Amino acid sequence: MGGVGSSGVLVGSAWCLCALPTKMAVGELGALERCLGLKEGKYSSKAQGGGQVPVLQINKGPSLAGLATIASYLAKEAKREELLGASIEEKAIVQQWLEYRITRIDRLSSKEDIRSILKDLNSYMEDKVYLAGNTITLADILIYYGLHPLMADLSIQEKETYINVSRWFSHIQHYSGIRQHLPSLIFIKTRIYSNLH
Amino acid sequence: MKLIVSEGNPHGIKVLAAAGLWAGGADIQRLQQEEKVVPFLAQPKLPALQLDNGNFLFIPNAICSYFFLSSGKEQSDLSNQWMEWEAAELQPASIAALYAHVVQGKKREEALQSIQKSLHHLDQSLAKTKSTYLLNGSLSVADVVVWASVYPLYTDLSSLPEDLTHFKNWFTNISQLEECQKAAESIVRGQGASAFKLYLQKSPAPL
Repeated sequence: MGGVGSSGVLVGSAWCLCALPTKMAVGELGALERCLGLKEGKYSSKAQGGGQVPVLQINKGPSLAGLATIASYLAKEAKREELLGASIEEKAIVQQWLEYRITRIDRLSSKEDIRSILKDLNSYMEDKVYLAGNTITLADILIYYGLHPLMADLSIQEKETYINVSRWFSHIQHYSGIRQHLPSLIFIKTRIYSNLH
Repeated sequence: MKLIVSEGNPHGIKVLAAAGLWAGGADIQRLQQEEKVVPFLAQPKLPALQLDNGNFLFIPNAICSYFFLSSGKEQSDLSNQWMEWEAAELQPASIAALYAHVVQGKKREEALQSIQKSLHHLDQSLAKTKSTYLLNGSLSVADVVVWASVYPLYTDLSSLPEDLTHFKNWFTNISQLEECQKAAESIVRGQGASAFKLYLQKSPAPL
């Protein structure tokens, strides 16, 4: 892990994301359970792809492994299947952003990586309220949890650069029941660096 | 809708196979890999599926799911689990092995070391289910996604590991499906693993 700390605070926090995926994932699934009004499940973890993935033991069946897989199962358990997308297209889009969370956001390794995903997301969110369209889905919740440590480290100026991500993030963190234990982040509604645009 | 794939890109195999199996009417366009198609992504990213309303899917597994769901089928928790495993574990290992072999010129056996654990996992799971497919019963999107992820390493079926009987039978079975054969051949074009060389050289080196 040599050199990780040398490139500044932003990289340091991204490294924490990679170093503690299980702890994060299990905490996150607990937050999701509370958000969905479910009882707390029994979690363990196993090694996979160089990291640790959460495993949920189900009473009447085999265990399920993987953050996106377990989160989708929990939505169904809570009878909130609309969170997985209403149409076929929405279902595929939700799945797309869940995989993006696991393969891109959870593996950020440099400041350039972070800038690159924030830039893409900012461009994607330009004409959207939620990731999959007009209603909130599991994709919004898990991308919000995944981006939280990154957004917490952005300066006011950077938050303004990624204005669409900031608008979406601010909206999700005020959505009932989602934020849970996470600190609320501050966003300024009026632009103060407007010469950048 | 329009499915856009690029020459020699291994990720094209799964989406073409899924399109052939579950979405007969998809319009397919072939481009060079540097072409930028998805408007909100700064870097070129193919394959991509442009939907009729203008929306884009840019993650191959999500494109496969879209085709599968469009044919009236549903995805189970177990199917989700296989697809997440493919994305998080199998695919990085498989691309790393392909890179080591095709770009760095390592010997096949040596290059394939990184994927042994995943293949054993597949073999053991198939032995347990005693089914021809990953999920009990019938062919699903999980079979196609996992098969296509391993395929670039075994374009030559005669080189499959003999000791992993269940994996070998399952892999051979999927490879012989007409839609899978056609999808693979349209990307590999008789060149074996070297068909992916240009794509791999232009991609960032795997970790």
